[in-house]
Amino acid sequence: MVTSIGTGREQFWKNVLAGRSGASAVESFDTSGFNVHLGAEVKDFRATDYVTNLDAAHLGRASQFAIVAARLALVDAGVQVDKLNLARAGVSLGTTSGEPQEVERFDDHYVSQKLNSVGAEFVSRYPCHVIPQHVASELGFAGVNVMIPTACAAGNYAIAHAYDVLRAERADLMLAGGADSFSRITYTGFARLGAIAPEICQPFDRCRKGMIPGEGAGVLVLETLSRARKRGARIYAEVAGYGLSCDAHHMTAAHPLGDGAARAMQHALDESDLQPEDVSYISAHGTGTQTNDRLETIAVKRLFKDAAYRVPISSIKSMLGHTMGAASALEAAVCALAVFDNRVPPTINLNEPDPDCDLDYVPNYARELPVKVAMNNAYAFGGNNASLILRKWELSN
Amino acid sequence: MRSRVVITGMGVVSSLGDSPEGLHASLCEGRSGIKPIQLFSTTGLGCPLGGEIKDFDATKFLGQRNLRPLDRTSRLVASAAQLALEDSGWSAEMRNSEELGLVLGTMFCSVHTISEFDRRALDAGPSYASPMDFSNTVINAAAGQTAIVHNLRGVNTTISTGVTSGIAAIAYATDLIRSGRTRALVAGGADELCFESFFGFDRAGLLCRSDASIGDFPIPFDARRNGSALGEGAALLMLEDAALARERGARVLGEIKGHGSSYDCSRGHNDKASIEAIASAIRQALNDAFLLPHEVDCLSASANGSVAGDRHEAQGVFVGLNGQTGGLPVTAIKSMLGETLGASGPMQAVALLETMRDGVLPGILRLEKTEDGFPLKMARAESQEADVTNGLINSIGFDGHCCSLIVTRPDEP
Repeated sequence: MVTSIGTGREQFWKNVLAGRSGASAVESFDTSGFNVHLGAEVKDFRATDYVTNLDAAHLGRASQFAIVAARLALVDAGVQVDKLNLARAGVSLGTTSGEPQEVERFDDHYVSQKLNSVGAEFVSRYPCHVIPQHVASELGFAGVNVMIPTACAAGNYAIAHAYDVLRAERADLMLAGGADSFSRITYTGFARLGAIAPEICQPFDRCRKGMIPGEGAGVLVLETLSRARKRGARIYAEVAGYGLSCDAHHMTAAHPLGDGAARAMQHALDESDLQPEDVSYISAHGTGTQTNDRLETIAVKRLFKDAAYRVPISSIKSMLGHTMGAASALEAAVCALAVFDNRVPPTINLNEPDPDCDLDYVPNYARELPVKVAMNNAYAFGGNNASLILRKWELSN
Repeated sequence: MRSRVVITGMGVVSSLGDSPEGLHASLCEGRSGIKPIQLFSTTGLGCPLGGEIKDFDATKFLGQRNLRPLDRTSRLVASAAQLALEDSGWSAEMRNSEELGLVLGTMFCSVHTISEFDRRALDAGPSYASPMDFSNTVINAAAGQTAIVHNLRGVNTTISTGVTSGIAAIAYATDLIRSGRTRALVAGGADELCFESFFGFDRAGLLCRSDASIGDFPIPFDARRNGSALGEGAALLMLEDAALARERGARVLGEIKGHGSSYDCSRGHNDKASIEAIASAIRQALNDAFLLPHEVDCLSASANGSVAGDRHEAQGVFVGLNGQTGGLPVTAIKSMLGETLGASGPMQAVALLETMRDGVLPGILRLEKTEDGFPLKMARAESQEADVTNGLINSIGFDGHCCSLIVTRPDEP
């Protein structure tokens, strides 16, 4: 993973458990025209440490993040690329904006009437499908290659798809996750919606004032159990199932009764052959906006009933900000690590309970507990809902 | 045992009309949708032609409802979805009891909406940017908007793999139904024609240039080709579990028999790798369909006039079908529709299903001479008769994505 609070699994997990915040004043562009100024940017990022086969200077920032996260994931998994059947190695990624900085550069030229300065790079770098392409070209992966741009839930969609690809035996190994770079367009939009927190991101707190836009990438290595065991791999977790649904209600607001979100969770539980009581931990979408956190709480209660009050729920967006298409991929990584490590990260900045958000959000301090089953919830513009369930792999034997 | 996936409806909005029959008839008569672009000024740019949908009016399909929140791409998709739902008999009432899904392939969704939103904030200040337009800047906007218009509460996924997005979406949807995850979905693709993408393609040198011998037109597989023309549209198929279709007495137009995909790591720059990637996608599709190369009896090519791309495809088909291409009828409908990006593969599927119905395969408009050693001997300018049971659809991006799909005529008419 590549995040504002650390690159690589060890640093990321240590800082997530410690409750570190990645928020600071935005440096990517001038925010003086805005009434908010915070972002969770990845600082001191050097792609050239990892990008060896492609020329990093010709890649957009999200592609660079994705390649670095992919390389780190392969090393962490102990996968030797030269021993793979590359025709059966694939990439499935999610994103909200793709390479927004490329279209923003186009727009800068457009408004200053300098379109003549735009060259071939607009089409070779901007469209979002180039991100998984760049990852695959860097690694030589010639198998399934797909981008699923389902906005803020995209990471979950991409991991779910990779899981299906492996089960259909269309690949031996899949890199799955999400990537997004800091975007002026996204920042402007969320600022106009009044959804950006002025000072602090505090999901589920009564005084929460919004989210903090972020950036980064999270990539997981998925392979079939038989292959993983054959090569003696360390297994963090097993994908138990997933569920997708659509609110078909409103482009930016969730269903007021949590209908779509609850259906996605239900589908995921059904496929995993689990009951709500079996879930040990929920990684919340938890953006920190008034509406999201309230409706998400309603959706969990709608499905979990009494069990809702017993399951620990946390939002790492309190630390990383909202990393858009990378968010649920990073949250899936957290679920895998929670299942492996029996520790769950906190929701930081949660000081004043909200009567509308009355569940256990693991306030401020990480917690040790047996995590057999972790559910990862993600919601997006367009009413796109995705729930992913990871479990300890021993359980299935 | 995997479920069989059948096609029970089609919806298409194109520069050659908004009915599958009409589109197919136009293609077979050699009518072209590629004309001077009216949507934006092409002054100072290369090819002034595009496959634009003239006077597109979504109220024709969606009635007098509030369409203000929908941009051009969303309107194209919502209109095609209306047609596909109608054609397959999925009424609004039936949609209340079944979680119907939508899988949409699109390259850009709307880079016009995205760019315009940003430019407005740059010109007038961030506080003048429109929150409503912001909700359409996400790449899954058209799928989300269409779900709202038609109450599609099931799986809602957007797939973006460039030109191959539409076929990748159909493949994704097929596997969801096969595995029993869902029973019925609308699947296909869309992209709009807009200044931003047109400008980008022009700068990248991908559009055809005016040439004394061929004018401004893209001529797939022709030795004189020098680029493609951009087009636009939306094409969606209603896909469902064969058992469900039978249960509700739906008319079956065809079956998705198999699909395959691969990625050319050289992104079109290494002939050998490019040809092998195309051949690999075809082989995987055949294996998935349990078919042998000689059982394919028609090819709907992805070829769009691209100099290297069309050559790679012809060679890739030759390799993928074990050299059995001499008697294979071939069409390349991008000669008349232009490169409609995410819509292109599903557009080919719609035309191919019509060919299966009436036995006529469209020609490749303006094709005169091919290169030496060109292996697709039955590529020709005029439409030809073709009795098609198993049709191969190729969808190949200009930068490495390769998808193949096999569509089969229903068992009994």
